[in-house]
Amino acid sequence: MNKTYYTRTHEWVEFISESKARVGLTDFAQESMGDLVFINLPEVDDEVIVDESFADVESVKAVEDVLSPLTGIVSAINDDLLDTPELINQEPYEAWLVEIDNITEKGELLDEDEYKKVLSEEE
Amino acid sequence: MIKNIKYIISKDINPYRNLALEEYLLETVDEETCILYLWQNKHTVVIGKNQNPWKECKVKELERSGGSLARRLSGGGAVYHDLGNLNFTILLNKKNYDLNKQLDIIIKALKLLNINAVFTGRNDITVDSKKFSGNAFYTKAQNSYHHGTILINVDIVNLSKYLNVAQDKLKSKGVKSVKSRVTNLIDYSHDLTIDLMKIKLIEAFSMVYGLKAEEIEDEFIEENRIVDLYDKFSSWDWKYGRKIEFQHSINKRYKWGNIDLNLSINEGRIKECIIYSDAMEVDLIEKLSNVLLNCVYSSKKMIEAIEKLKETNNEYLDIIQEIQSLIEEI
Repeated sequence: MNKTYYTRTHEWVEFISESKARVGLTDFAQESMGDLVFINLPEVDDEVIVDESFADVESVKAVEDVLSPLTGIVSAINDDLLDTPELINQEPYEAWLVEIDNITEKGELLDEDEYKKVLSEEE
Repeated sequence: MIKNIKYIISKDINPYRNLALEEYLLETVDEETCILYLWQNKHTVVIGKNQNPWKECKVKELERSGGSLARRLSGGGAVYHDLGNLNFTILLNKKNYDLNKQLDIIIKALKLLNINAVFTGRNDITVDSKKFSGNAFYTKAQNSYHHGTILINVDIVNLSKYLNVAQDKLKSKGVKSVKSRVTNLIDYSHDLTIDLMKIKLIEAFSMVYGLKAEEIEDEFIEENRIVDLYDKFSSWDWKYGRKIEFQHSINKRYKWGNIDLNLSINEGRIKECIIYSDAMEVDLIEKLSNVLLNCVYSSKKMIEAIEKLKETNNEYLDIIQEIQSLIEEI
């Protein structure tokens, strides 16, 4: 099984290889935003940079930017989300947003225990 | 924890400048501060972040009347602004975010004016079940804003004129607006003015947070950053060129035959153009579709593109002319 990490801004990162990973939103993120109605994703070959916004999601009247946990190049996007962003609400850990390749930098990544600690502080 | 509260009132009525200042305040608000920003736009339709301008607003009529179209960062639907409307934005660190407390500023301000307002389901504030304030939200990194309109004495005729779009031939992705029954607060408090509303909001702001609100001086605003943000909000790319795909079909029957134009638009440009007609040679249909491909989705640009065909297709001048008039209506 691939190892999954989390960020303080509630994204998850699953490494497929040393330099390639999928990124999504955690259950806490989808829960606190509510029903999603729209998502903007970058395009394949776009560059993403640690802590910079690379996508945004809209729930009822609220837009939230999604910050990238990694610096690299977008190698795939989850097209299904463009028509059905609610997949993120239903299966947050299945509904990956983008796949990032050529990773050159990682932001602060937390393991499960560390992320649980962050969550307990949020509540 | 909020230790300071500050307010700022925009001196400008240009929507792009006001949205630029709003984003600037979001970028710069610190962890211990809550800012109340009050602003007004002249004759503008403001759409949500993920909306299709042509689907939500009569873009052409708005522009003809000297109005502006603006896209905000927050979600939700299209709203009409004029100088009878007052906008508020509450900006703070995400940790200090408290929707009910923020709403209380508006509700308390109205109470000071003897108006009983309530917050309802779709993030609206109503009086007598009629909406006078629509609220929307945006979060980036650690900071959030909550903003909304306050209809005090808005031209309701204009409001419905520019927002009512009956284009069943336009199928679009993106967020749809929800129509509401709206009202002006002037109907509930006859002496109410924009200036009085501002004073009461600032007073209520202090009451809710139990702190004295200080005014942000102009010298704290970094003009260079405002100019950059202004350029973004006023750019064609931001207003029209976003990745929201839609299809527009236009058809008309003439005595010489019928025309059926099917356009697919994304990022504000025609990405696909399929034309059916029993009045033109296949060859002309192809040429027409070729000149429209990648053209900017605006009647002016499309008519210009088609104009070129006139030189080489003399026998079809009338038909080309008719197609141009058909496109004129987009």
